[in-house]
Amino acid sequence: MKKIIPVFVLIALGVILLSSINFDYGNPGARVSDYYVKHALAQTGALNIITAIYLNYRAFDTLGEATVFFATALGVFMLLRKKEEEGR
Amino acid sequence: MGQISKVVKVFTRKLFPFILLYGCYLISHGHLSPGGGFQGGVMFGSAIVLLGLVEGTRITERRFKENVLSMIKNIGMLLFILIGFSGIFLGYYFMTDFLPQGAVGSVPSAGLIFFLNIIIGFMVGTGIAVIFYRLVRHKTQ
Repeated sequence: MKKIIPVFVLIALGVILLSSINFDYGNPGARVSDYYVKHALAQTGALNIITAIYLNYRAFDTLGEATVFFATALGVFMLLRKKEEEGR
Repeated sequence: MGQISKVVKVFTRKLFPFILLYGCYLISHGHLSPGGGFQGGVMFGSAIVLLGLVEGTRITERRFKENVLSMIKNIGMLLFILIGFSGIFLGYYFMTDFLPQGAVGSVPSAGLIFFLNIIIGFMVGTGIAVIFYRLVRHKTQ
């Protein structure tokens, strides 16, 4: 009995996945990607459109990413101190 | 811990500058080809991690001092924020690209993207090295 239940779960999952192949997803709401592909080179001068997006159009996001990384490094730096720094 | 073989040591010593060079290439060509600040910075960091694993952190730290690396990381973060605010000071929005674009396809082009890539690269590389130093020292203490 214990071995039959996972098999049924897997079969059900497979049926769901197979039946979702032909779903009609409708119109994608975001059309900004076309805009980036058309205008990125002229507006930013970068050949790599991904870099143009994450350092020009979305530079504020990248600042947040860099802040998260900075906070991580700072946290490790503060938490795992040397023995002689312990008192400070 | 077992002894690290001489082959690994020699190859690491010979490969180390080339790994750094490839990291520089990835960072400086971030706006032209796949790659960029984060990837090149991880390559910087992993080069220092490799040297630290093979030669030991004590010898590695003699050349790449932890305080200096941490200082580079902090200065990079400050520069990033200052560049963001310089857009406001010059009369545009936050993080506006106020530099000229330059010739398409050359390395110093695309305005601020080039400099932000360099800053992010140094930040990520030194940050990973600092995290590695701290974790290793915590383990071996």
